[in-house]
Amino acid sequence: MEGEVGTNVVGEALEVSFVLNGRATTVRARTHHTLVDVLRDQEHLYGVREGCGVGMCGACTVLVDGEPQSGCLILAVSAEGREITTVEGLEDASGELSDIQDAFVRHTAFQCSYCTSGFLLATKRLLEEIPDASPHEVKTYLAGNLCRCGSYMKILAAVTDLLERRRTVALAPTKEDA
Amino acid sequence: MESGGREASTWREGRSGMIDSYERVTGRVPFATNVEVQGMLHAVLLRSQIAHGRITRIDVSRAKEVPGVHTILTGADIVVRGAFKARFGPVFRDQPILAIDKVRFVGEPVVAVAAEDRDIAVTALALIDVEYEELPAVFTPEEAMANGAPILHEERPELGATFADILINRSGDPNTCNTFKVRRGDIESGFAQSDHIFEDVFTSPSVQHVPLETHCCIASVERSRIVITTGTQIPYMVRGQIAEIFGLPASAVQVIAPPLGGAYGSKCYPSIEPIAAALSYFSGRPVRLQNARDEEFVTITKHGVKIYMKTGVRSDGRILARKVLALFNTGAYADIGPRLIKNGGYGTNGPVSIPHVWIDSHAVYTNVTPAGAFRGYGISQAAWAYDSQIDMIAHRLEMDPYELRMKNLLVDGEPFCTGELMHDVHFRELLTTARDRIGWDWSAAPERVGQKVRAKGMSCIIKSTVTPSTSTASVKLNDDGSLHILTSSIELGQGVHTLLVNLASDQLQIPVGRISVARVDTDVTPYDQQTSSSRSSWSMGHALTAAISDVKEQLLSRAAELSDEEASQLEIRNGHVSVIGAPEQGLSYQEVVRRTRAGNIVGRGFSQTQGGLDPESGQGVASVHWHQAAGAAEVEVDLETGHVKVVKYHAGVYAGRVVNQVHGELQTEGNLAMGLGQALWEELLYDNGQLQNGSLADYMIASFDDMPDEVDLNILESGRPDAELHGIGETSLPAVMPAIANAVFRATGVRITDLPLTAEKVLRGLKALEAEGGAKNGDLTTPDGASTDGQKHVVGSVT
Ligand code: FES
Ligand code: FES
Repeated sequence: MEGEVGTNVVGEALEVSFVLNGRATTVRARTHHTLVDVLRDQEHLYGVREGCGVGMCGACTVLVDGEPQSGCLILAVSAEGREITTVEGLEDASGELSDIQDAFVRHTAFQCSYCTSGFLLATKRLLEEIPDASPHEVKTYLAGNLCRCGSYMKILAAVTDLLERRRTVALAPTKEDA
Repeated sequence: MESGGREASTWREGRSGMIDSYERVTGRVPFATNVEVQGMLHAVLLRSQIAHGRITRIDVSRAKEVPGVHTILTGADIVVRGAFKARFGPVFRDQPILAIDKVRFVGEPVVAVAAEDRDIAVTALALIDVEYEELPAVFTPEEAMANGAPILHEERPELGATFADILINRSGDPNTCNTFKVRRGDIESGFAQSDHIFEDVFTSPSVQHVPLETHCCIASVERSRIVITTGTQIPYMVRGQIAEIFGLPASAVQVIAPPLGGAYGSKCYPSIEPIAAALSYFSGRPVRLQNARDEEFVTITKHGVKIYMKTGVRSDGRILARKVLALFNTGAYADIGPRLIKNGGYGTNGPVSIPHVWIDSHAVYTNVTPAGAFRGYGISQAAWAYDSQIDMIAHRLEMDPYELRMKNLLVDGEPFCTGELMHDVHFRELLTTARDRIGWDWSAAPERVGQKVRAKGMSCIIKSTVTPSTSTASVKLNDDGSLHILTSSIELGQGVHTLLVNLASDQLQIPVGRISVARVDTDVTPYDQQTSSSRSSWSMGHALTAAISDVKEQLLSRAAELSDEEASQLEIRNGHVSVIGAPEQGLSYQEVVRRTRAGNIVGRGFSQTQGGLDPESGQGVASVHWHQAAGAAEVEVDLETGHVKVVKYHAGVYAGRVVNQVHGELQTEGNLAMGLGQALWEELLYDNGQLQNGSLADYMIASFDDMPDEVDLNILESGRPDAELHGIGETSLPAVMPAIANAVFRATGVRITDLPLTAEKVLRGLKALEAEGGAKNGDLTTPDGASTDGQKHVVGSVT
């Protein structure tokens, strides 16, 4: 965006700083810009996607201080000082997929995958919040994320598998024990 | 020769559900919406707020003053200053790039603004004044076909170059865009031989595809060269249309087509691309244009339709005659409506054998959003009518609806209403499995627990695939033995690129990790007719197979140059070229390419189907083979609220041969999700042409919560290794809506013939039944409490 040109018409751009995928970041945002706008246009994080713009589809889900939120409803200026995680922040430093991403890959829990970032991030929090979630709880928790391709059954399988694996890992003896 | 002995099938290792799974779970799929081009302007559109009217004044003077505004364009500018064609369309060139003189629907683009950034463009847009002289408008085909109705297109739209299968039949009625007819047997004697005649009317509403990624394109127009990156299912159609608009050779137009964030038919034909291109032409800068969600709702829809269906049946249940009048609401511009009414027309025959058939299917212009391709392509609408009706007939004849269907289902060797003989059909198998898996028992009464009642229903449908059609593909075997696939099939989530890679991997016996699919780009990837109609697996699959055979042949003759053997003594084995009978002796592909200094080996493949129908009788070949599905639903209806919940669903679909099991499942489950919405609540609501629910806050699509607890799939294969691939991207969708409606009827006695089955309609039906003292066998109750038999309309009666 070339802020200068239209500044006098469309409003001043303000500096906003937050931690983005573990890295201190500063963007310039006009007051009406959403988090989706700045993350895509300035940070080029295209895993953040707009589907509806009104908080109904979850395609724009990001984690704000660990909580899944609709990025389309958050004004960028209100992100000051927050910790933001996008799908691009799910891999570890070496580019290894997280277990969540890996489960989605193993179950092919997507088709067009436009919704996938949102589901992955919501699932991250689901696993923390309800580690023993039943299939019914999974469905209810993820009901705010829409998938028009209808990949729901495979997403359910991926999340169920994850819950199980995490439980097994939690129960398994650690290396020191062995 | 080096030793080539290897375990068979090692090339199959490392396959996953999708070749680009990594990109898909890391947010890295290169959607069109991500594309940025240096120097690009951002465009927004001012759209009509009235349904029909003359444009009397457009004032852009204040908008022009906004700093950062670059170009403001109206239809008049294009006509006066643009040295190019002002109208486009895949069949009729009836759609103006921007409205010219008149607007014909709420949401039609009228003025386009390109500015340095989107905020500036939006600011300027608000300063534009447009005045109209309103004209009377028509919103349904019946209104449009009535005497004295306002005419949408005063001049007959120009017919342009189009697809080979399209038939044009323009009746005298000025708002009828196109008509398709089937005439088979002798309809009157068919009815005369019938013991029972049933006349019913079915409607299904217009709905929207709601791909989560909206339409987006970036156009860059220079004097003799145009580059467009766009989210499209048919890049060659975009290329052809843009070349035609600008009067350029096709070779001067490059269309780059990234993977899509959902399409479902919505991204087949140009919509916003010509606008972006026109803006770029006038501004001299690349222009990016993307629909906002509310704009997506007024860009393209599924056809709403009213189908009058009269069916004659012998007392033993055999269907002898069917007469149909189908009125498809094609909206203000034709888009692909002229073709869709053909499929939706013969589609009303259904998967049954009927000796006497008479079908009139019309695409009618009205003052609403243009309707076009939608997953199911006319068949959803047709199946809603015929499969609901066969269930109704069974009830009226006191027959088991399963048995009645079985009695009439087409079998191999029987003719369809187009006269072509069925082959490789499995309707009975699909329906019987559906019956067994849902646990169908006709004699069982609905289960009632408290205020909830449960029952089951089934359906069976037939769908064509576009015929004749053409696909081409190339492959490049590189000097390290890796392979490039060049195809213009679009990856829209259906997994077509993965399917092609798997086919190539099997045929050349190299691992998928050594195969890449080139980005779809009309400058590079060869012609494909369309990524739609569930044709890619079959058609592009064939083209690719041919291209690989070509490579194999060249490999053998190249290898022969390096050995003492004739090419005929060589074979491809375990990813090597080896001497027949001596598999341990093999040359790697790399060695063959390098040692013969071939550079690379390029293979070309071509696939074409034959067919077509007679324009007067609809006789001929409509489909190279037939897509087949059955559905069975168990529903729970809340008698207090009318709310319907689908608790179990069985989807059966014939795939011929499954190449990628998980994708077959995903597509079938996806069809269920989409069908649930269309069965139960999806509907575009208009008030005087104004869309009332054009936002995802008001227009619901199926969520996790709506999925049945139990989903059971039967992806049926023929069992023959050489079986034809049947695309299944759409097939199971049309079965969903009637299966649910039939189950609701069995649960409640309420027969709803107009989709969707909202709680309100169910409740009204229940109230009407109560008023009559409960459902009696043989009664049919619509939500209005009227009999569905014998409805008549001036335009609509089929009698
Ligand atoms: S784009 Fe934010 S919820 Fe849909
Ligand atoms: S995979 Fe396409 S929207 Fe979810």
